[in-house]
Amino acid sequence: MKAPSLFKNNKLLKRLEERGIKITLFFSALSAVIIIFAIILFLFNEGYPIFQTVGVGEFLSGSRWNPTGEPPTYGAWSLIVGTLLITLGAMVIAIPLSLGSAIFISQIATPRMRAILKPVIELLAGIPSVVLGFFGLIVLTTWLRVTFNQSSGESWIAGSILLGIMAIPTITSVAEDAISSVPREYKEGSLALSATRWQTIKNVLVPSAVSGITAAIVLGIGRAIGETMAVMMVCGNPTYGLIPTPITNVFAPLKTLTATLGIEMGEVATGSPHYHALFGLALILLAITLVVNITATIILGRFREQRKALIKKRFTLSAEIMKKIKQTLYLGLGLVILLLLVLSLGLPLTFIIVALCFGLHYLLKKISRKTMQHLAFSFITIAIIIVIIILCIILSYIIVNGAGALNWEFLSGSTTNLGRSGGIFPAIVGTIYLIIGAIAISLPLGVGAAVYLNEYTKEGRTTKLIRAGADLLNGTPSIVFGLFGFAFFVLYLQIGFSLLAGQITLAFMILPTIIRTTDEALKSVPQNFREGSLALGATKWQTIRKVVLPPAAPGILTGAILGIGRAAGETAPIMFTAVVFSSFIPSSFFEPVNALPYHLFILTTSVPNSAQSQAGIALVLLLLVIGIYLIAILLRNRYRKTMKW
Amino acid sequence: MFCLFQFLYGCIQQQEGLPIVLIGRDNASGTREFFWQQVMHKENFSENLREKNSNGGIYLTVVQTPGAIGYVGLSYVDSNVKLLQINNITANVTNILAGTYPIARHLYLLTKGNATEIEQEFIIFVQSNEGQAIVEEEGFVPLQVTTRYNASGKQLSGFLEISGSTTVFPIIEKIKERFMTLYPNLIITVSSTGSGAGITAVGQGTVNIAMSSRDLKEAEIDLGLVEYTIALDGIAIIVNKENSYVNNLTLSQLQAVYEGEMTNWDTL
Repeated sequence: MKAPSLFKNNKLLKRLEERGIKITLFFSALSAVIIIFAIILFLFNEGYPIFQTVGVGEFLSGSRWNPTGEPPTYGAWSLIVGTLLITLGAMVIAIPLSLGSAIFISQIATPRMRAILKPVIELLAGIPSVVLGFFGLIVLTTWLRVTFNQSSGESWIAGSILLGIMAIPTITSVAEDAISSVPREYKEGSLALSATRWQTIKNVLVPSAVSGITAAIVLGIGRAIGETMAVMMVCGNPTYGLIPTPITNVFAPLKTLTATLGIEMGEVATGSPHYHALFGLALILLAITLVVNITATIILGRFREQRKALIKKRFTLSAEIMKKIKQTLYLGLGLVILLLLVLSLGLPLTFIIVALCFGLHYLLKKISRKTMQHLAFSFITIAIIIVIIILCIILSYIIVNGAGALNWEFLSGSTTNLGRSGGIFPAIVGTIYLIIGAIAISLPLGVGAAVYLNEYTKEGRTTKLIRAGADLLNGTPSIVFGLFGFAFFVLYLQIGFSLLAGQITLAFMILPTIIRTTDEALKSVPQNFREGSLALGATKWQTIRKVVLPPAAPGILTGAILGIGRAAGETAPIMFTAVVFSSFIPSSFFEPVNALPYHLFILTTSVPNSAQSQAGIALVLLLLVIGIYLIAILLRNRYRKTMKW
Repeated sequence: MFCLFQFLYGCIQQQEGLPIVLIGRDNASGTREFFWQQVMHKENFSENLREKNSNGGIYLTVVQTPGAIGYVGLSYVDSNVKLLQINNITANVTNILAGTYPIARHLYLLTKGNATEIEQEFIIFVQSNEGQAIVEEEGFVPLQVTTRYNASGKQLSGFLEISGSTTVFPIIEKIKERFMTLYPNLIITVSSTGSGAGITAVGQGTVNIAMSSRDLKEAEIDLGLVEYTIALDGIAIIVNKENSYVNNLTLSQLQAVYEGEMTNWDTL
């Protein structure tokens, strides 16, 4: 007689458990949205006094940034222009190289070449920005100064080159995905009609993938706008912010929003108008990146819809409209370039250039299809070779210089003589503590969010909101996380510089990466697995835990490792929340820590005669981060091979 | 390729002499503020001044850029850069102690209200012979003291947090290493956040001691901080090693250079 009631109880308990799990997952899914709102709220809270003092209009349009002058002026305009110009330059460099690489990897490379090239380019993303800045400051700026006979190489173009390098992996990998996902029939159809491979790429594949490519570029722009450490080290930072004269002078120094924050935030007196003004800048920066990311989300969304529509309607729609849009775009672009040329070179030279262009155009029309293909493919090959050469130069420079500093004591000793004679053990341990904490917080949250999105809801308004939150968080500049962490943990919660604050700030930063990769991993688990499990009487949670999550685990792990790599190399988010330069290892969550990127940053900025150590740390940091990325890439490759249903 | 580049941008001119590249510290720096008051007499810097967020940043750029001039703490002067005399006086310990070198300043530690026992002991140690020896070792100008630090019979334990000026940081970080060997149960952390952030933090009570390379500002006086002088520092004016145009600048020349009135080394 007892058995049925127990069974009943059990059922009730199970139902309660299911409920509880659903609610927990819902809240972890909501976390991304909550975090993005919290960031906006806290930045606004710290920033709005400056808008009261000087007014929004003046703050945005003033061109002189001199917050400690007499009288102080808070004009952000030239900083905004600086940010936009550097990003523009970065895109001029990154877009051709990335698209060339993407086309090469997806269409020209043999499968074996592809298996090597894709991870190699992704490795570029693994170079920590402080290491890249270090390279830029010592090698790139000197090369620019000598080659172009300038008085200083710290300039717009130096910043653009570094940012371009950083944006290449983002643009390449998203664009490559877009081109590869064009339905095979398109390509086969075109080739069957005896079009050359190049004609197929140019007229069929790229136009079909145009939304995906656009989104790739927009994401690259977002990456470039938010970068702090590297830009701060190489772009010269003219003191009041400066719009170059003439505006095409790429050797003029520039000051960006992020660099201003990175340089001044540490030393400003909290609560002063200058302090509020810096949060005002962070708000502007956040607004710019939000616009960029929302644009990307919308374009990508349309891309997916268009894809569905296309498959149904077989390519009848939008050709006319596309043509019109294209024409207007080319016309506008042409006019802008013409205007710039006239402004910077004068009329006669512009005329010669235009004539040359038309001549070239005519010549190209005359060339046979085969030659054209050769020509195009050689340009594409050159693009990817340039990317690989850049990677090799950076890696070999850092390895050659750093190898001399490495020995067992350097790695295992505690910091002595201000880190000049090495001893980076506490920094290594600190970095490990930070990433363990960050992953311990973000992994359950991120996986929970993705599980909720995939398994518990239908696509609708809520999921859209949550996905948008994750995308926005993904685009938020790392320095903005740092400022938020400072305002929230240090000022509001008053827990001071602490391990915990750093772990949470980093966790927030890598949360979107984990949500996204888990999301994709879960989507790739076939639906009939779930149906089979449910049909056997398993509850939803049992199904998820025992059937859905195990095959998705490698994918989730990849996301976690990418997140770890990012967390290990970042300086900006922990700079104002967690780190001190000290050779002790924290014994509680409320004590500060040291971390490798910060250790390197302090040695380069505040300790004389420490060049040898600096090179050594740069190498250790590079090896650590790239090692983590390699594990992620290998896991992904294995996962792809083994997962065949 | 190079010709094409030159042709396209059209803004590269062959220059006579050597253009001056001005390097300075950022808006929020204590060093910049001192320089602005003492050298610039609160006149505006040239808009071509390039900012670095630290002494190390200035030093590196001056080493790499032939036309550069920068100001750093005395400890950054070495054989890779050329130290300029100011008003014909070299920046060195003797001249700064004698008060003849014109751009020298005090470095401070600050506590909120009167120092607690641990804070007090640490400050006494910094100001003692032992502490001042490290001040000198790190290239700063020590105070004229003759007290020896006596640790016998004292027991200190706990946690002491110090933060602030990037200039003072190397001194205190190194002194802290020594002090912790005297008191194994004591843990001290030092962070290099800049004078402003350090002063704010000690005012809020999130750290015990602030390091500062400037005097307190008006907004900071209400915080109720107590100041302890721990060393002197000369602001060294450095140029690239290969700069053969100058060995000496007068204070007014220096001001003119940083105001942007002189833009080429051959006009000096």
